[in-house]
Amino acid sequence: MGQLLLNKVKKFYGNFEVLKGIDLEVRNGEFVVFVGPSGCGKSTLLRMIAGLDATSSGDIKIDDLRVNDLPPVKRGIAMVFQSYALYPHMTVFENIAFPLRVENMEEQKLKAKVEHAARILHLDQRLQQKPGMLSGGQRQRVAIGRAIVREPKIFLFDEPLSNLDAALRADMRIELAKLHRQLKATMIYVTHDQIEAMTMADRIVVLNAGEISQTGAPLELYHKPANIFVAGFIGNPKMNFLPVTCTAVGDAGVTVDYKGKTLTVPVKPRDGVVGQALTLGVRPEHILLASGDISFPVTPSVIERLGAQTVAYAPLDGEGENFCAMLPGNVAVRPEQTLQAGINAADCHLFDGQGIAFERRVSLTDIDMNLFTASTKG
Amino acid sequence: MKNTPMIDRYRWWEMVFIYLGIAVFLTFILSPFVEGFLVSLKPLSQLFSSPYRFFPENASFEAYRTMWISVPGFARYIFNSFFISIVVTVIVLCLVVPASYAFAKFEFPGMGILLGAFLTVNMFSGAVLLIPLFRLMRSMGVLNTYFAMIVPGVAFLIPSAIWLLRTYMIRIPQELNEAAYADGASHFYTLRRVILPIAMPGIIVVAITTFIGAYAQQFIFALTFNSKSEYMPLPVGLFAYFGKQEVIWNELMAASFVGIAPAMVIIFFLQRYLVGGLTAGAVKQ
Repeated sequence: MGQLLLNKVKKFYGNFEVLKGIDLEVRNGEFVVFVGPSGCGKSTLLRMIAGLDATSSGDIKIDDLRVNDLPPVKRGIAMVFQSYALYPHMTVFENIAFPLRVENMEEQKLKAKVEHAARILHLDQRLQQKPGMLSGGQRQRVAIGRAIVREPKIFLFDEPLSNLDAALRADMRIELAKLHRQLKATMIYVTHDQIEAMTMADRIVVLNAGEISQTGAPLELYHKPANIFVAGFIGNPKMNFLPVTCTAVGDAGVTVDYKGKTLTVPVKPRDGVVGQALTLGVRPEHILLASGDISFPVTPSVIERLGAQTVAYAPLDGEGENFCAMLPGNVAVRPEQTLQAGINAADCHLFDGQGIAFERRVSLTDIDMNLFTASTKG
Repeated sequence: MKNTPMIDRYRWWEMVFIYLGIAVFLTFILSPFVEGFLVSLKPLSQLFSSPYRFFPENASFEAYRTMWISVPGFARYIFNSFFISIVVTVIVLCLVVPASYAFAKFEFPGMGILLGAFLTVNMFSGAVLLIPLFRLMRSMGVLNTYFAMIVPGVAFLIPSAIWLLRTYMIRIPQELNEAAYADGASHFYTLRRVILPIAMPGIIVVAITTFIGAYAQQFIFALTFNSKSEYMPLPVGLFAYFGKQEVIWNELMAASFVGIAPAMVIIFFLQRYLVGGLTAGAVKQ
């Protein structure tokens, strides 16, 4: 079992509230990713679950046992550090065996366990080498091996891939996903990289300024972000936000006005928003060239050709941020040449003055959510 | 083509200046040793010949033989020097390793004040405190023992050793401690299995400086706290070559070189363990 429950968990550094009451339940076998910008408290939260940092208030429960005052080893967790934290003077074998040596495990059993872990991680040939002779990816695998031999209830990963180069990171992502399926253990993974979050997570917890902004499956966050922060954080390039005014509310949705053009966004209507300033969100990948329900002229200042896609960045008047459009790879656009950016109402997100999203009428049933939960149950 | 990096390239006259500078300082440092060695090779009569000759005629190692005869206790003095220095070094290391680990890895109240106090203590040379120390030793009744020479030596060498080793230990990544803690290791287990092996080069540096320090400073403590010739260390023992009428200079010099030799062997042996880069691969830098 490896079930984790956080109940109103808070952390103060002096008077500064780093975590403002986190409530979260992680089910057994789930792969949960904490994601957020730097300084949002995600690493602190992980270190509190690990038992490296003290909890100011609230309860941390692992399998219904309150572990706030227990040292890490009694919590049944194992942690993999961003910087690997390998012991440089020990061989790979001794590094992986370290937690078992602490337990005074008998040699025969210890050897079997270390070799089993090494096989899983393809380190069999490296057992007698020292960490200094290994590549970054291999070092990270040794660090994971050290966690595996403990057979913890919960694995904790603190940005384990952020020191690897891009190609290796993609490989390790796949290996970690496989490892999760193989071990069927609960894993909590902290990252600032939303691609890692989207690709590996059963459930993503988006943290912002010490609070949970939204919790949900990757595609749920993508299609139905609860607020403007999550909308901007999930998705790359970032979602475009346009200032609009609400002109009407009806059964079909909320009608808004952007620079004299009206658009009815199919969201769950609310009373009393007519006349209010709202924010219209549309993802760069949903920008169409010269089609769509409405279109408006933009003049890109920079064009990035990625091959499969072309990304155009256009400054919007009166806005600090660029308007970004992701267009087909072979589209005929040039810098400083005005183009018509079109959007479909169905692709749009709408946020009120507080940044809270109007619920979109997107059914997630076309993506079978059972597929995601099924994979974790094996 | 030379492969010297651009930043290390100099004009010919810059090279001349650099080597000239090196030569001047080396001469200052090494000429006493050279002169001392040459004196040890000369017969005593030639030392006061006029005009003075720098290089000896009929040089011989005769003084290296006779020195043992004219001062029979000399071997004992060498042993004493070593014994005192090694005991001081061992005690200092036993105390300083856990202390610097604590100073490097934990935050505790009074830490800054303590470290500052260590520096302050370092500013007093042992000589300033000789009289109070003498009175203390006398009232404890430990004058004329090894103890009287070892304990003040340890006390005066600990502060700089802590500063030295603490700096080294701070560089050992904190994640290693956290990883070991998360795996259930106690602080002492972590110190023994993780920190000590990694800090070994630093510990050896501390051992060497402490040994040299103990070797150098024992003179003043021995002279003050000890009057028994069988406990005398080498520097005091050299006084035995000062006779009533004359100083046997050539034997004195020979004795000095013989006395230094074992210390140099130890240091040479230890410095082979001063390998850098032992933390390679511990964490991503």
